[in-house]
Amino acid sequence: MTKIFKSIKDTFLKFKNSSSETRYKMIIKGNSVLTAILRYTILIAIGYIILYPLLYMISSSIRTRESFYDPSIVWITSDVTFENFGFAWKVLKYGQSVLNTIIFEMVSAGIQIVSCSLVAYGLARFEFKEKRVLTFFMFLLILVPSQMMMLPIFMNYSKLDFLGLLGLVDTLTGIDIRPNVLNSIWTFYLPALLGVGIRSGIIIYIYIQFFKGLPKELEEAAWIDGAGPLKTYIRIALPSSGVVITTITVFSLIWHWNDYSLSSMYLYASSWPVAVRLSEITTPEAMGVLRLSGDDPIRIAIMMAGCLMFIVPILIVYLILQKKFVKSIDRVGITG
Amino acid sequence: MENNMNYNAPSNSLKKNKKHKGIESLKSTYGRLFVLHWEIGLILFFVMPLFQSFYYAFCDVSFAGGEYHFDFAGMKNFDYAWNKNADFTNNVSESLLSIVGSLPVIVIISLILALLLNQKFRGRLFFRGLYFLPVIIASGVVIELLFKTTTGDLSSSGVSDTFASNMIQVDDIMAWLSLPTEIGAYFGGLLNDIFNLVWNCGIQIVLFISGMQSIPDSLYEVSKVEGATKWEEFWFITLPMLSRTLILVIIFTIVELVTAKDNVVMSQAYTLMKGAATSYGTASAMLWIYFIIVGAFMAILMLVFSKLFLKRWDTGGRS
Repeated sequence: MTKIFKSIKDTFLKFKNSSSETRYKMIIKGNSVLTAILRYTILIAIGYIILYPLLYMISSSIRTRESFYDPSIVWITSDVTFENFGFAWKVLKYGQSVLNTIIFEMVSAGIQIVSCSLVAYGLARFEFKEKRVLTFFMFLLILVPSQMMMLPIFMNYSKLDFLGLLGLVDTLTGIDIRPNVLNSIWTFYLPALLGVGIRSGIIIYIYIQFFKGLPKELEEAAWIDGAGPLKTYIRIALPSSGVVITTITVFSLIWHWNDYSLSSMYLYASSWPVAVRLSEITTPEAMGVLRLSGDDPIRIAIMMAGCLMFIVPILIVYLILQKKFVKSIDRVGITG
Repeated sequence: MENNMNYNAPSNSLKKNKKHKGIESLKSTYGRLFVLHWEIGLILFFVMPLFQSFYYAFCDVSFAGGEYHFDFAGMKNFDYAWNKNADFTNNVSESLLSIVGSLPVIVIISLILALLLNQKFRGRLFFRGLYFLPVIIASGVVIELLFKTTTGDLSSSGVSDTFASNMIQVDDIMAWLSLPTEIGAYFGGLLNDIFNLVWNCGIQIVLFISGMQSIPDSLYEVSKVEGATKWEEFWFITLPMLSRTLILVIIFTIVELVTAKDNVVMSQAYTLMKGAATSYGTASAMLWIYFIIVGAFMAILMLVFSKLFLKRWDTGGRS
């Protein structure tokens, strides 16, 4: 302690005895030290707020029944247990529901990344009459919440009808060939393929902003050398847009992983993804699975364990892509 | 192919050029091909469903014999939602109030954090990685489980309760400053909501940072030469250059808040939608009422925003 006081005193004396120029320099330095302290204080404080729920989840999911209600234990118990994760695995039907998430959601995220980039390339690079209208529709797609369309789409899915064509067959021949696609992969693949999947509006928007910032010269050179538009897109535009693709991939995977409303509407219980299972974790039916097998778990510990298990896969993906993603944000250049 | 040849020899004849309209028309055809699938998608999954749900709002929907039946019922659904269902009007006003309350906080917090994270300092990458975590984990379901204290043994130990009780008592400070208790209640509410608010900032921070990155460095160099302080730099360069990103962030935040899983109106309509077919009409009517109100709110906000800020900033005038 005395050392610190001494050094402060020294600095003060040095400041008092020095010329005006060194004084100025010292003030500047002191200022930057102050801002650094302020910056780290704010960053660490809010960082704590961000981490707190995570720590809370971990802390409460590794407790036994005794330690759960023991107020003397603040963060980590001495008798760490992992049985809550086992219970949560049973309640979430984890293996099956992760598989469902991959089949339904992750694949359609992949499809969406490609189909939206095609749309954005078309809107960013080419001039045609309807472009203004289409751009307007892109903004509408961002603005209008998907819940508005959910119910009609749900009803359309129960008798899929391509713009009345299949319905026409029905009225002409009397044979109903309109398929019921509910609970099938098409409920997610079809919108993704057509570039209107989960939050496609904002994805197309980010793509467009990036493509507009790319220099045109390379693509024009490719045109003159006789490459068609598709070839130019695949060979020139895509390889130079790794940055934006990283950002979009992270966003799209996360949004699909977290999707709750669409999948609980279009899919039956047998093919529910993890997000829906997790939201049903508090229902008596879900807990009944455990009661039947004779276990007596603490509800909140299982919920937190379930939350952790829900987060972990996407967290791993994020940690893999993190460095690229954090850097890519600098260069995507969304200007609005 | 013909058009391509035409492009290779543009000087040959103007007549030919006119006939085939040249490279521009070819390019616009290609452009249309790029967005063709999206146009179909827009019709199938956006325009048509939107009209359908509008139509359902005026109908009595029923399900019989494997088919949905729609009987036109006029304003009955709207009347029921607005006049007879007390829950709905309460929910609408509650959710609108919460949007108005949390929107500025989210925008300001994310702007400050983006400013901090955009500077060069030691450990920047680590902090960025940390601050984008909410983007990853802040899904509606997790947040709901964490913060909505639901039933039974949960009610005693929600995260925000335990956290807020550890913090300073806002009411005491307000009383000490002799400020009206309403303001104290507002800030106390904010403190209780701090997780929800901070966890909602993820994508906004991303949008702000990439907006800041696109501001040309030369502007800052000029301001340095002119001897501007950091404060002036922020007000006269960063903020005006960010005005369009700001609009995007505001719109995005509103849409996020409206569609969030814990939005009271949303969940009410959602329960109806998952129920029997007879409630579909009411659900559609509720959604339409709600979104017309929110849309009007957004439109007013945009109008004020562009009147107040965009014009002034575009002409470069100081306030």
